[in-house]
Amino acid sequence: MSLETPLDLLKLNLDERVYVKLRGARELIGTLQAFDSHCNIVLSDAVETIYQLESGELKSTEKNSEMIFVRGDSVTLITTPPDDE
Amino acid sequence: MSAKGTSSVSSQFLSEIIGKPVNVKLHSGMLYSGRLESIDGFMNVALSKVTEHYENGHNGLLRNYNTDVFLRGTQVMYISEV
Repeated sequence: MSLETPLDLLKLNLDERVYVKLRGARELIGTLQAFDSHCNIVLSDAVETIYQLESGELKSTEKNSEMIFVRGDSVTLITTPPDDE
Repeated sequence: MSAKGTSSVSSQFLSEIIGKPVNVKLHSGMLYSGRLESIDGFMNVALSKVTEHYENGHNGLLRNYNTDVFLRGTQVMYISEV
């Protein structure tokens, strides 16, 4: 199936688990409930991973959300989650 | 008139590279290489067979994406044919 526009790709991922990369070394994995042309997205059962350098060491913290609305301007990339999720 | 002329060159470029291997650099410095599946007027991009590097392809491979990847147009710095 060929995709007319890049946003059609997101339509195929509705109700599926998605991996969203955000600005500022943050990632989200959740079930895509909704999105719009600004890339505002709503995820359910989401896990946010925040990467931080603490005295030269890469640390990550996780936050769980039952439902989360993400403003489009912080979104950089959307795809399916890595196999090792 | 010249403005119209140059805009047709850029939109022609964007439509001609569909299906070709491209590099897409984001403002964050991340470089994504893959096959350009589609692109729209906001420079939103869909890529397949994607590799992720930082700044250039000589820095180690960060990740392979096996499925199609959506990149948000506002984050795109440039798109180049490989």
